[in-house]
Amino acid sequence: MSSHDVTIAGYLVAVAGIVLLQVLATRTRLPVPSLGDLLTRAMRSRTGRVGMLVAWAWIGLHFFGR
Amino acid sequence: MRVSRAVPGPEDQHAQNRDAGGSATGCAEAVADPGRPAGRALAALAGLRAPVVWVLLAIAFFTAISGKPVDGVLMLIVAAGLAWDAGRRALRHPDAGSAAGVRGTDRPRARGRRRLLAVGALLAGGAVCAGVMGSFSRYSWPVTAGIVGLGTVVVLIGWHGPLRDRPDGGRLPVPGTLAWLVVLVAGCLWELAALLQQPSLTTDSYSHPTISTLTDPLLATSPGRSLVLLAWLALGWYLVER
Repeated sequence: MSSHDVTIAGYLVAVAGIVLLQVLATRTRLPVPSLGDLLTRAMRSRTGRVGMLVAWAWIGLHFFGR
Repeated sequence: MRVSRAVPGPEDQHAQNRDAGGSATGCAEAVADPGRPAGRALAALAGLRAPVVWVLLAIAFFTAISGKPVDGVLMLIVAAGLAWDAGRRALRHPDAGSAAGVRGTDRPRARGRRRLLAVGALLAGGAVCAGVMGSFSRYSWPVTAGIVGLGTVVVLIGWHGPLRDRPDGGRLPVPGTLAWLVVLVAGCLWELAALLQQPSLTTDSYSHPTISTLTDPLLATSPGRSLVLLAWLALGWYLVER
């Protein structure tokens, strides 16, 4: 297994973890909040709200902007 | 069911204060005048207790050293502004940690109709916008202007609070929240490790590809760019609605 494969496998594990937690949150009674609940909680204050939106804008700028 | 920011009770206010400025700030009395230089410095320091400020500072740092100093400076300005704003509000009004109130108290039926129209218009507008912007090459001025314009509008909309009432949901369960933090932080650290293992911060590596490198083939085509831009716009709208 090359370094390239290991790196990609790491990303896939992270994505699988996100999917797993979301499934656990929405399909079971385990004490796991959904990603939406997490974002809502993080964005309850103005600082959190604006911070998240600025991070979103940065993603667009990073991938497409000059 | 409690509704966020409708009429916050003492418990809600304390929870919101923790968001804005940390646990200690939330219960602090007005001890400094944010209008004076010393008060401004104290306000900025108090605002540094907000985790999101540190996230933005980290983004600013890594953006700057990755060959986009202007983006980094912009993020730095936003992070500093947010820290100052959060600290100022926490020092001046200990109970004002939350965002502005929810807008709109119309009847549910009229609101639902308007919302349906707005969603339809946004979907159509978003598709057209993504299609047009995706037709330009990456890092071109038209796309940059579009992204900056949209980002500014969305941040300004979000500044005034959520667009509609949402269930508060109460406290999040600690074990599940920690599990989310572990996964998300691990993902970010993995990306950071790949970035640091490149030959240089501005040179891609096949052995240690970052997410940006992996998405290059998709973003090399016009339909791919439009698709990703549409997803980006949808994510922005989703966040504004939170």
